[in-house]
Amino acid sequence: MTYQPEDCLVHVVDDDAGLRRSLRFLLDSVGWSVRLYASAEEFLDLVAPQTQPSCLLLDIRMPAMSGLELQQVLRERGLNLPILFMTGHADVSMVVQAMKSGARDFIEKPFKDQLLLDAVAAAIRLSAETLEETQRRETALRALAALSPREKEAARLIARGQPNKLIAASLGISEKTVHIHRQHIMGKAAISSAAELAGLMLRADPTALD
Amino acid sequence: MNVVGYKKILQLGLFVGLASLFCFGSSQALGKTVAIGVFAYQGERASTSDWTPLINYLNQVLPEHSFRLENHDAESLRRSLADQRIDLVITNPGHYITLEAEFGLSRIATLESLGVSAAKALGSVVLVRGDRMDLKVLSDLAGKRVAAVSPEGFGGYLLAAKELLHSGVDPESDLKEILFIGLPMNKIVEAVQQGKVDAGIVRACVPEQMVREGQLKPADIRVLSPRQENQFPCALSTPLYPNWPIAVTKQTDPVLAKRVAHALLSMPLAADGIGWTVPADYQPVHDLYRELRIGPYAYLREITPEGLVRRFWPWLLGALFALVAWIVHTIRVEQLVHRRTAQLRDSFNAREQAELGMRESQEQMEHLSRLSVLGELSGNLAHELNQPLTTIGTYARTVLRRQDRGNLTPEAISEACTQIASEAERAGGIVQRIRHFAKKRAAVREPVDLAHMAHEARHLVVGMMAHPPEVQITNRLSEHCRVLADSPQIQQVLLNLIKNAIDAGRTLAPQRQGIQIIVEAIDNWAHLQVIDQGCGLEPPQLAHLFEPFFTTKTDGLGLGLPICKTIIEAHGGRLWATPNAEGPGMCFTFSLPCHDLPA
Repeated sequence: MTYQPEDCLVHVVDDDAGLRRSLRFLLDSVGWSVRLYASAEEFLDLVAPQTQPSCLLLDIRMPAMSGLELQQVLRERGLNLPILFMTGHADVSMVVQAMKSGARDFIEKPFKDQLLLDAVAAAIRLSAETLEETQRRETALRALAALSPREKEAARLIARGQPNKLIAASLGISEKTVHIHRQHIMGKAAISSAAELAGLMLRADPTALD
Repeated sequence: MNVVGYKKILQLGLFVGLASLFCFGSSQALGKTVAIGVFAYQGERASTSDWTPLINYLNQVLPEHSFRLENHDAESLRRSLADQRIDLVITNPGHYITLEAEFGLSRIATLESLGVSAAKALGSVVLVRGDRMDLKVLSDLAGKRVAAVSPEGFGGYLLAAKELLHSGVDPESDLKEILFIGLPMNKIVEAVQQGKVDAGIVRACVPEQMVREGQLKPADIRVLSPRQENQFPCALSTPLYPNWPIAVTKQTDPVLAKRVAHALLSMPLAADGIGWTVPADYQPVHDLYRELRIGPYAYLREITPEGLVRRFWPWLLGALFALVAWIVHTIRVEQLVHRRTAQLRDSFNAREQAELGMRESQEQMEHLSRLSVLGELSGNLAHELNQPLTTIGTYARTVLRRQDRGNLTPEAISEACTQIASEAERAGGIVQRIRHFAKKRAAVREPVDLAHMAHEARHLVVGMMAHPPEVQITNRLSEHCRVLADSPQIQQVLLNLIKNAIDAGRTLAPQRQGIQIIVEAIDNWAHLQVIDQGCGLEPPQLAHLFEPFFTTKTDGLGLGLPICKTIIEAHGGRLWATPNAEGPGMCFTFSLPCHDLPA
């Protein structure tokens, strides 16, 4: 699945209005959608769980809540948004702290436009991948949610490629019942083979078949 | 041979050069018009009619020169002197000593009028209406409205300003209002008569002249703090000062100066009793200007490193003296103890100690000359410049980028240009502020918003720290209290106080690191408090807090608070420290006078 640039959202948090506007002008020139926030607090008030690839351009040095504090709050809220920090004067201890807390990248002001655009593009790509991953998992979980507990048990064995006879023995049911379960499972999940079932279950939970 | 020939040519050349220089010099003295610049404080017509007789006299007595009268105001007189366009200057005593300091003028004669000593000829009189029985002496004028000629007027303001200051009333801050209504001085007397002001300052003898001309009845007015001077025919509120001088510039030909001086001293008294006498002593005028801190002594008001060194030099000297005394003492004690056993080593030690002491004091002096908050601030301001420059660069390059991509719309061009222009203005503003700081300039007084400045100072201090504590700002100042100040200087005070307060709590638990700033008005004074929750100070430390070189910090120089105090006092306010009333720590407060908004 590929996204158009205008479907991707770049959040910009900086207390300097002039810089904010210039970043919108720059990011808009290559087609990204841009939203501006004057402070970390304003961003926290308005931000919603992401439904489109997005990233956060964040000034590390702001008067009230700093960029590092905002990063902390986002982590606590479970908002998994790639963060690009902007800093006016490279402060080594701040950089280390931010990177340790999972910052995606670091951009020093005054920055090179191309570097900034590349970093944003990389962060958006990462966000898109994460988003697709999440969506695939949710689809798989939805498909498997319709199965009864007994069918789930059978499905795990079927996905491992075991023949009906072996499954019947380990579940203590007849081979015929296993056959019926198998048909129900394929029907509910709209698939046609044990291999597809295995793929679906792994997407829903990478540890499902361990 | 060659060498000898070369030398001869050189000598010859030198001789010709000198000779031509000499000829040129003397011909200039003889042929040129001599311009006499006059301070025409009452306008050109009055000045021309006053001084034309003098010009005519000089042209008649010294026909080899051609004298010409030039009327000037204060500014154009200064410009003409700077451009060396005038040879002789006639001006009032105050203006003269200012120009004397600036251009090296020297007086050759002082104006004299019949029966009045040239050294004691000018004075001021402070008038109130005859029925104002509540006003008797100058100190009664605190909180009153007073009219005068202009801030530079010698007889029409400055003389009385000094006497007011002497009687405990600072004319710049203790009066309710001072109105400068210009010339002629009759206007001031009329304002007093009509009750528009409580008192008026005019040159001595102006009321007597108005009485003679029938414009005033003696009972209409009364003189505050009246005094008598021998042989002086008019009422006075101030001592008398020397009369107007005539002065030559550094460039004036000495021969010409001598001839003019001779001509003036031998000039017969005119019909109105006006003549010239030997130059008077202008020291009283110097004393007056030093006390009022104006003219050549204006530096006493400015807070520049140079001005501070000039004002604090007794302290510097004292500190050096103490240091030397300490070294001498140390050496002496050492010698007494070790005299017999280690005389040789002692003298070696002593020399080393002396050298160390010298090095230390040298370092301190260097530090002092480097010291100025300006340096720190301009660094931070330069950092601020980065922001608009980044922004401008981004806009410009993005326009190019859009052009390459084909999405450069007219709206985009107009947005980019608007923003580039506004960011360039912002950068210009920052540069302006840096230059503002760096420039040696006359003191500025403009309306300032203390709470806004506190926010700005917080922004600057907090921005420089990795883990800034909480700085809470409470503004209770009403709109009716308007503070006039020089904002960079007040900003410097704020930065110092905030930084001190943060330093006070730095090593303590986080909940004691926060500081509080409160702005409020108390009795027509704006108060700004900076409150920390640090360890506070002991009474002995409190007593020395504002003395130069007293510090409680290991790396402090001990000049921050004295400088702050000087700044605040130059603004007519006070700076003091008290223990924090609501917990541990200190409270530093400065007060500045409120000025009423004009109705």
